[in-house]
Order: sequence, then structure tokens, then C-alpha cells
Amino acid sequence: MADLAPRRFGAVNWRGLATLCLKDVRRSLREYRYSVLGPVISNLLFLAVFALALGGTASRVGELSFLQFLVPGLIIFAVCQAAYQTSSESLLFDKMEGMIADTLMAPLTPVELTAGYACSSAAAGLITGAAVAVPMLILVRLPVASLPLILFFAIGGALLHGLIGIVVGLWAERWDHYAAALTFLVIPFAFLSGTFYSIRSLPAVAEAAARLNPVFYVIDGFRAGCTGHADGSTTIGALVVGLIVLALGSFAHRLFRIGYKIKP
Amino acid sequence: MNRSIQPGPAAAVAAPEPRRYGSVNWLGVWTLYLKEVRRFVKVATQTILAPLVTTLLYLAIFVLAIGGAVHKIADVPFAEFLAPGLIMMAMVQNAFANSSSSLMIAKVQGNIVDVLMPPLSAGELICGFALGGVTRGLVVGFAMWSAIILIIPMGLHDLFFVLFHAVAASLMLSLLGVIGGIWAEKFDQMAAMTNFVITPLSFLSGTFYSIGSLPKFWYGVAHLDPFFYMIDGFRYGFTGHADGSLLAGVIALTSVNVALWMVAYRMFQRGYKLKA
Repeated sequence: MADLAPRRFGAVNWRGLATLCLKDVRRSLREYRYSVLGPVISNLLFLAVFALALGGTASRVGELSFLQFLVPGLIIFAVCQAAYQTSSESLLFDKMEGMIADTLMAPLTPVELTAGYACSSAAAGLITGAAVAVPMLILVRLPVASLPLILFFAIGGALLHGLIGIVVGLWAERWDHYAAALTFLVIPFAFLSGTFYSIRSLPAVAEAAARLNPVFYVIDGFRAGCTGHADGSTTIGALVVGLIVLALGSFAHRLFRIGYKIKP
Repeated sequence: MNRSIQPGPAAAVAAPEPRRYGSVNWLGVWTLYLKEVRRFVKVATQTILAPLVTTLLYLAIFVLAIGGAVHKIADVPFAEFLAPGLIMMAMVQNAFANSSSSLMIAKVQGNIVDVLMPPLSAGELICGFALGGVTRGLVVGFAMWSAIILIIPMGLHDLFFVLFHAVAASLMLSLLGVIGGIWAEKFDQMAAMTNFVITPLSFLSGTFYSIGSLPKFWYGVAHLDPFFYMIDGFRYGFTGHADGSLLAGVIALTSVNVALWMVAYRMFQRGYKLKA
């Protein structure tokens, strides 16, 4: 009879990490009607409504037509919102159903838990974003300026919101809390950060405030990659987004380590 | 100690009789209505404050993004054109959410029997659920209006049209919510109805633009859309500007409400998906 021994891992439990990561991506894809088709429809509605409300007026933002300005904002908004929803819903649902034990019992360190949830939610966000982008790019042509910027800010924005989702998912005890964080925090931040308009059209005070908002840099940097039009500096944006992701990552790691609201 | 066994007082009293009502069980309807209202008031952050914040965000975005390019729609300043549309959109979405979620959750959790067991007729059940939704719609609408008039000078052209369309539209969506709530078996289906039917209709029916700017075919289609009439008539009440015929709107909304009422009535009467 073979000896029973604990399984051994190297420094990182890669298989565990990949399993955790795939779990939430699959969960999101299984509910594609809600997680993918819903955002596709609602963002196409936004596009249609703005195009119709503008009517014949040739509104321009810088050298872009208004719709060219709008489309990158809508895509990155869809990415961020889907990333937030994936991690926060997964954690909250598992907590409420008592299934979180399955994740906590597995031999995963807090770093691996943080990385697993962050990566899966970012991946789910990017999948939703890609689905939203396809019909929009057929309708509106974008002069792609820089692929590295697009990828950096799409991934950065997705990770940032995935990590916010982890923090909210751990903190929330009821669906009320989750919905409140979405309605009063995530959506206002994204809506007021230049998704739909150039922050240069804001009054001076509001513009200065918008420049303190990290989500503004995500949207602006992504738009700069898609169209070449930036309201702020992409270098500062990259630094801000990188630093916030690190800060949120270490915060989420700390919550997992102390077992905040998930361990007795 | 001598204890004789004596007949209890209960034996002397006649057996209880069923309670009697007139033709309408007013107490029952009122109780169901109160339950529906208390249900949303209890989570007012989600049911009143959240739509308020979201709608004010829409207002800010549209005014900032488009107000610069489009100053007036049919002689109405853009923000004043937009505000009634947004209020109406918030009202109908919340009226729908109230009755549909109430029935849906009661079905999923099994406590729908608490509503089906009491002596309430089909008409009384509809009254309770639908008026609960109407109340939520009107409360949200009033809250929106109070917040918006602080920012945008909204006039009042004709109070009758404001009130008629507010009540008729809330009732219509609330009845749709009753029907949807009875029909749907999973939260998925409910979300699909909201995402693919209610939201698109409330977005594309002239909330944000005058349907005069639509292509000709869609301009014709809009006149068959009851959502268009409720937004248009409501806007007329505030601004005095209407894209379509007001009389047609009043007739359309009334007849749609009657039709939906009959469908809901039939569903409750047969116990469609409610009774074994």
C-alpha cells in the first residue's frame, strides 16, 4: 500500500490557482445572458440613444466625432463593471450559501486567493468588454493609436475593479450591500470620469476633482490607445493605475490573510 | 378537597363562523397593499435612493455630453426636455420592479401561499400588487422631481397630463410586472425581461430625444409604442410640447391598462403557475 502523504507544491500552488481562476470565468460564461448579453444590449442602447439625441449635429471632441469619443468609454466601462461584478458576486454568493469553505479549505495562500479572484474577474471583464466591442466597432470606426496602451489600461482597469469587487465581496453581508456599492460607488465613479464626455467640458473645480479620480485615468488611457485622444497624461495615468492596483491588491491580500468576515 | 368536574365555558359558545365580507374584502386588499408598500420602504436605499442617484447621473451625463451641441429640442431647452423623460423612465422601471420582484421572490421562496390562502379574489390580488407598484413609481417620481427642480427650472404646463400619465404609466408597468412575476420561473427570465424588453423600450421611446429625429420607418413604429405615449404625454404636462397626439396617448394607455388588467385577472383566476 502506498504511503499517504500530503501533496507537495513548489512555492506556488499553480494548479490550485488555475482552478480557482477558471471557476469564476466559467461561472460568468455560464450565465452569459446576464454577464455578456446584458452589457452588450445596454451599451448598444447607450450608443443608439446618444447618436439619436445628437441628431444631425456634428458634435466633435477634439479631432474625433462624438461617437468615436464615446465608444472606447463604453467598452472600458463594460470591462470595469463586469470585472467588479464577477469577483464581488462570486465571493458574496459563496459566503451566503456557505460554499466559501470550499475555497478556504483548499491549500491556497492568501496571495494565491487574491491573485485567483483578481485574475478571474479581470478575465471575465475582458471577455465582456470584447463582446461589447465587436458590434460597436462595426458601427463606429476607430483609428487605433496604440495597442500597448489599450491592453495596459484594459487589463489595469479590469484588475482594479476586480480587486474592488473582492473587497466589497468580503465586506458585504447581504445583496443590499453589494447593490449599494455598485450604485453609489462603482457606477458614479465610472460615469463621472469621462465615459461619456470630455472632462474638459466640466467647470474648473469639477475637472480638477475628476483628475484625482483613478477611474478617470483608466478611461482616458484606454481611449488614448483606441483613438489617440487623451484629456490627461497617459504616463501619469499608467503610474496611478499601477499604484492603485498594487495598493488594492495588498489590501485584499490582508483581508484574506486575517480572514475578514470569512473565518471565525 | 372536593373537586367536581364542571363543563368548560367553551362548550356553551357556538362554533366560530366564517368571517363575512361585503362584495369586496377591503381589509384584505388594504393589508396586501400595505405589505407591498412596506416591502419597498424597508429597503428605501435600494428602491428610492438608488434610482434617484442613477437618474441624476444620467441627467448630468446627457447635459454634459450633449447639452453643448444640442441646445434646444423643438424650442424646449435640452435639460428641460430631458428631465420629464428621465422621471418617467425611473417611475416605470421601479413600478415594474416592485410587483415583479415581489411575486417572483414569493414564488421562489414558497411564501406565495400566504397570499393565495387568504380570502382574496383575483381582482383583489391584482389591486394589492398593482397599487403597491404604482405607489413605488409615484414615490420615486416625486423624489426625482423634487431633486431635479433644484437644478433645472421645470415649468408646469398642465397638471392633469402630468398626473394622468404618471398614474397610467406606473399602473401599466406594475401590471406588466404582475404578469412577468407570475410567468417567470427563474431570476434569469426576470432579468432577461428587464434587460431586453423594459429597459430598451423605456430608453428608445423618446426619453432622450424627440422621435422627430428618428428615421421615417422608426418614427412610424414609435407611434405604436405605448412607452412613447406615456413619455410624450408626461412631457407635455411639464413643457407644453408633444411629439404625438395627446388624445391617442390617453386612449392607448387606458386600453393597454384594461387589456393588461384582464390578462393578469385571468392568470390569478386560473392560478397560472401559482396553484397546483
